[in-house]
Amino acid sequence: MINFSNLSVAVRQVTAFAKRDFRDWRTYKTQMITQVITIAIGILSWAINAVYRNRPVPEYDTDYISFLVVGLVIGNLVMPISQGLERRLNPWTLENIIMTGISIPVFVAGQMAWPYIFSLITFIPQLLIGIFWFGVKLSINPLSTALAFIISAMILLGLSMISVGFRLVTKSTDPITWTINTLQQLLAGISFPVQFLDSFLPGVSSLSWFLPQTWVYHLWRLSMLKAAAITDPITQIEFLKGFIFALILFPIGYRTFKWGLNRAKKDGTLGWF
Amino acid sequence: MSKTAIETVNLVKQYPAVLRNVRNRHPWMAWQVGGLREIFSRKKNFIRALNGVNLKIYRGEVFGLLGPNGAGKTTLIKILCTLVLPDSGEAYVNGYNVIRESSRVLRNLQAVLGDPRGFDWRLSAKQNLEFYATLYGLPRDYAKKRVEELLDLMGLSDRANDMYQRFSTGMARKLQLCRALLLDTPIILFDEPTAGLDPASAVDFRRLLKDKLAKSEGRTIFIATHNMWEAQTICDRVAVINRGEIIACGSPENLKMYISPEKNYVLTIDGYCDALKMKEFMNEASGLCGVKDLRLQADNASVRISIRVDKDFVFSEILDIMVKYGLKIKDVESYEPSLEEVFIALIRGGKQPI
Repeated sequence: MINFSNLSVAVRQVTAFAKRDFRDWRTYKTQMITQVITIAIGILSWAINAVYRNRPVPEYDTDYISFLVVGLVIGNLVMPISQGLERRLNPWTLENIIMTGISIPVFVAGQMAWPYIFSLITFIPQLLIGIFWFGVKLSINPLSTALAFIISAMILLGLSMISVGFRLVTKSTDPITWTINTLQQLLAGISFPVQFLDSFLPGVSSLSWFLPQTWVYHLWRLSMLKAAAITDPITQIEFLKGFIFALILFPIGYRTFKWGLNRAKKDGTLGWF
Repeated sequence: MSKTAIETVNLVKQYPAVLRNVRNRHPWMAWQVGGLREIFSRKKNFIRALNGVNLKIYRGEVFGLLGPNGAGKTTLIKILCTLVLPDSGEAYVNGYNVIRESSRVLRNLQAVLGDPRGFDWRLSAKQNLEFYATLYGLPRDYAKKRVEELLDLMGLSDRANDMYQRFSTGMARKLQLCRALLLDTPIILFDEPTAGLDPASAVDFRRLLKDKLAKSEGRTIFIATHNMWEAQTICDRVAVINRGEIIACGSPENLKMYISPEKNYVLTIDGYCDALKMKEFMNEASGLCGVKDLRLQADNASVRISIRVDKDFVFSEILDIMVKYGLKIKDVESYEPSLEEVFIALIRGGKQPI
């Protein structure tokens, strides 16, 4: 037998939880908007992906499944670099860590070390699954791959430091990193070549090349799918472009991180969420 | 070498308040770009946490900063720890400026900030300390030895391999002190050192601060607290802070003089005394220089004399007269205000001459 008086209390209690979480959620105004836009961009990106499905990818002399699987594996390898710092930023331990007098680069590298080591450990099995299960065809140039790794690490470290610098101040999603990361989903060519975007809106693919992540995926794919040799002048130019991005982003990231840290110290909010 | 361990000069700190006025006027705009607006806007309301704080703390002393909630104690501690930047004024730790020479400051000072969440919960006490020892740059072998020494000193050796989340508040506080001692700095700051500790642990902790760290090892100890009894018991000097201003500073004894510049005694005399002799005693004693008031209260069992005298009055002068008239003293009680009474009087009464 249902006890309706207990049921109504239970409903009120469940509502109280929902109300509390809604009130908490709406205090993060920027996050509220970004969540809604992220959903919309996600739908759009999957829709384009569905249209593109199973076409060959001449840009990297490969088939779609190899393009997609390598893209996902690269994502899993390099993205923890950008997410590691942000996710592991614990405001309660941050003050104590800063009081040890540790330098910013060591702090940044240290925070990301484990997520990255873990990604490296899972990188090979992911590739093996791709090769043996899905028939992914790799054509790797080791030197280019190593260079791609260095350049992409610098790009993502820079982005990561920008993100954390802002997050130290805003305490929630920072609009700049969010914009870059959300656009990446649609424009960086994770699951379809960026040139394909032009069939929906002519010229839009040129925007992609202003996104740092596009270069990360592009350089890795050149090295792993096309075995692009670094001695080839065209490959050199592509790597040089990526390197310029890294050279710009890394110092900007460092300065933004320092700015965020000082700003949080000025506002007295270093140990806050 | 200077005798000053910590010095602050006209230290001012204000925090931005919420941007209510902007949001009320343009709620939709603020809602959309609230994050960026708050970062870059200069139109802000401010809460003044420190308002021209001047303090000098000498090497080897135990100094207490007393104040009600929100008085600015934690802000001052965090500025000294380089975790908060002051808006104006200067602060020095062993002569090093907290803004310009922060890394040197942190080699001279460490703090127990009080928040028990400041460790990794799923690491053991030992692993946590070893992690911090590495961040402090201690050599591997020395770090291991130091961690073991400190765990032993705090009586935590038995629980060294337990996960931090299993620790009680008292154990967590001790572990925080272990971390603060890793670097062996000459100055240690404590924010509410015994908050949340049971009475026995609190006594042990105070003893450790006063006897071990301050007396035996000669460290400078700075504690921010609103526990008056604690401050009275362990501090050589205290300062009272209210609304960001230091309103009094001195030894606990001197601070008591702020509200009561006199001393009060109650003497209990053997009831079988000669009334004439008692009268002569009263006459002579009330004429002594420094005696402000002398009152006699008698009942069947005893005779009590209440005496109010100047703080510099030499009490043996009274005793000499008593001996002269053959009065026998059964008990002497002296009364002086507690630091708590002083604190309340200062907070209500405003700034005193420092």
